[in-house]
Amino acid sequence: MADSEQDNTDRGDGDNLKSDKLFTLKKWNAVAMWSWDVECDTCAICRVQVMDACLRCQAESKKDFYGRQDCVVVWGECNHSFHYCCMSLWVKQNNRCPLCQQEWSIQRMGK
Amino acid sequence: MSLKPKKVDFRQTWNVLQETVKGVITLADVPRSTWNDRFSDVYSLCVANPEPFADRLYNETKCFLENHVKQLLTKVQAQGETGLLQAYHRAWTEYSQGINYVHRLYLYLNQQHIKKQKLSEAEMIYGTSSTASPGFEEQMEIGELGLDIWKNKMIAPLRTSLVTLLLEGIYADRVGEAQSASTDVIRGVIQSFVRVEEYKMKGQLDMYQEMFEAPFLEASGNFYSREASELLQQSDVTRYMERVTWRLSQEELRAHKFLHISSVPKVRQCCEEKMVAAHVAWLHSEADLMIENERRRDLSLLYPLSRPLPSGLTPLVLKLTQHITHQGLQAIGPLQGENIHTQFVESMLDVHSKYSELIKEVFKGDQAFIGALDKACSAVVNHRPAPRQPARAPELLAKYCDSLLKKSAKGASESEIEEKLARSITVFKYVDDKDVFQKFYARMLAKRLIHQQSQSMDAEEAMIDRLKQACGYEFTNKLHRMFTDMSVSADLNAKFTTILRERKEENKLGIGFVVYVLQAGAWPLGLPPSPGPFHVPQQLEKSVQAFESFYHAQFSGRKLTWLHHLCQGELKFNYLKKPYLVTVQTYQMALLLLFEHCDAISCRDAAISLRLSHEQLVKHAASLVDCKILKKSVEGELEEETVLTLNFEYYNKRTKFRVTGALQRDAPHDAEATHRSVDDDRKLYLQAAIVRIMKSRKLLRHNQLVQEVLGQSKVTFAPSIGMIKKCIEALIDKQYIERTPNSADEYSYVA
Ligand SMILES: [Zn+2]
Ligand SMILES: [Zn+2]
Ligand SMILES: [Zn+2]
Repeated sequence: MADSEQDNTDRGDGDNLKSDKLFTLKKWNAVAMWSWDVECDTCAICRVQVMDACLRCQAESKKDFYGRQDCVVVWGECNHSFHYCCMSLWVKQNNRCPLCQQEWSIQRMGK
Repeated sequence: MSLKPKKVDFRQTWNVLQETVKGVITLADVPRSTWNDRFSDVYSLCVANPEPFADRLYNETKCFLENHVKQLLTKVQAQGETGLLQAYHRAWTEYSQGINYVHRLYLYLNQQHIKKQKLSEAEMIYGTSSTASPGFEEQMEIGELGLDIWKNKMIAPLRTSLVTLLLEGIYADRVGEAQSASTDVIRGVIQSFVRVEEYKMKGQLDMYQEMFEAPFLEASGNFYSREASELLQQSDVTRYMERVTWRLSQEELRAHKFLHISSVPKVRQCCEEKMVAAHVAWLHSEADLMIENERRRDLSLLYPLSRPLPSGLTPLVLKLTQHITHQGLQAIGPLQGENIHTQFVESMLDVHSKYSELIKEVFKGDQAFIGALDKACSAVVNHRPAPRQPARAPELLAKYCDSLLKKSAKGASESEIEEKLARSITVFKYVDDKDVFQKFYARMLAKRLIHQQSQSMDAEEAMIDRLKQACGYEFTNKLHRMFTDMSVSADLNAKFTTILRERKEENKLGIGFVVYVLQAGAWPLGLPPSPGPFHVPQQLEKSVQAFESFYHAQFSGRKLTWLHHLCQGELKFNYLKKPYLVTVQTYQMALLLLFEHCDAISCRDAAISLRLSHEQLVKHAASLVDCKILKKSVEGELEEETVLTLNFEYYNKRTKFRVTGALQRDAPHDAEATHRSVDDDRKLYLQAAIVRIMKSRKLLRHNQLVQEVLGQSKVTFAPSIGMIKKCIEALIDKQYIERTPNSADEYSYVA
């Protein structure tokens, strides 16, 4: 169950003297995942996860190597969120939120 | 000599000329001066005044040659059957040279008189010449005239005897009873049949073919048929093929030796027909066993014999496909144990290279057999152990790559590993569901990157390049995004450290803190299993808070989720005889830190305190108990009441080590989940493909659309028509495309 190499060189912090604590924390290698802070994971317009590029961007992925940079999320005043690409096409037809029918106005954009 | 036309006595001049012609045609010694004089005589006769004697000279010469050949015929016939060929050959050798000289002596007649009245080809075709009237006998140049006379006055009367004798001579050669002297005679006689018509504009070989070649081929056919049936009675298939191969090569040499070059392929074909094609059913039935037992020598004999026949190779190709498939399935069937992935890939590669070599060696790398190998390998690689189970190759191949790219790949040099990875592409190309492979590969790559287990980043990138080359960049796009996140994270950590330093807060966190920030969706990672939010130890909370506020200042609209099951930390143990540096998972770290406040704790209380389920707690506590850092109050499984205490007697000769937690172990449902998630990805992939196609084509019929989608997806997987239909419906529903009003099975793109 225990492995890894012998190492005596690591006593950098000079607390070789008995600490009053049982344990000293040395390092923490953390892993975190970022995602858009949205209520619903899926864009209601193209029904693709908002973390992925929208359907149109995926269809054109040949141009954009890493796929997603330009395909961000937009939040309306109603707090509903969609792909920015999807919403900007939608408002040309109908300037209302497809989920709650409120007049659409942008509250913030993802970055 | 004077070129001026003058009066000439024909009879007198011709008598002198005739004597010289007689000498020339019998290859007698004619002095140069005599030759020159006769040469001018021909001229004088042709231009004689008042009446030129050209026509008369022609007719006299023709008469002379006819008589000469008649005399030769009598001499040849006098030799009787036994000496006929030799005598004919001797006469021909002399005559054919002699007539050549005579032709030259008559240069003026040929050039000025005969050529001029000779019909041009165009005139013959269009019939515009006035000389093409019936009864007009066309004059030939003297050389041609001589050959024509030979044909009619010598060959024609001897025809039957000559052909019979030639066929007998060749038969004797076949059965090894020929005298070497007769070779030149036979060849010379056969050549004479060609030579006498060589001057013709077309149909030069007509006489040779009709008179000699046809009976020759018939006789040969009979000979081969007889030989084949005799061989069949007295030899096995190996001996038979050896004999036929030998016979074919002998006949080819013989044809070159005796016949006109145009007959060579005909002889071969005739021989093949009687000795191979006539018995092909038997040979093919024998071939099954040869392939089953991999009798290379027999197959090397059979291949060149079967190849020229129409579909002569088809049964061999079919049988070889079956055989390799069978061998392949046997090789990968009984795999067991820990390194089943290595066994699978390497067995598969062994099968592939064994039969590649066999095909190269025995079948000369014939494309048809390479096709058989591909078909068989593909069947083996994509074989499903049971109808409802997925094929194992995608997972096993990904594991194989993982085992090579991981630090733990022991004993192998970098170049060996590179070579193995390069070879694994051979198997990869046969995998039907390449997207499933990609899923497994991505999961394993994620683990290697997060836990810093990669042997070398160069090797990682080289492998992704290979996959990209085989499948296109779209296939490796997600894998590239993972690498991007790693470098973005490195930048973020540097920036974070700089900011802390600027604020003189670098020691505020009290711990060496490094974080990978991964983009959800690009990484095949689940969220940490947790009934409620895990209680982060208060010692780590500062880091979490400081980093989150830094991150939110950098980006907007994002949230961070901490993947504690993937985090690990290093603790220094201060309570033992010597200090230890121990790497543990965050959950284990939290569990150990509880002992700062108590000497003993039950599993139930620990779980409540950390906000973990009992199962999770047990999983992490067990590894600490197993390596004796913790002690448990009762033997056996950890129960809720089991009390945990620190082991103050702990000893390890290493002072720095890692406690292997549950993190590296794949839960058994992992593979199943991977297969399931593939379906959703495929639907998205197909929808994107349909949008892409419709955007560029604007208007398409259903079947065309389906065909194009199949074409685009075939590099990574083969979608069912049903799945494509469903995706089309979904897109109509979402108004990306619509049915055109005039036709039910035509779609148009909605911009
Ligand atoms: Zn969308
Ligand atoms: Zn987009
Ligand atoms: Zn709304």
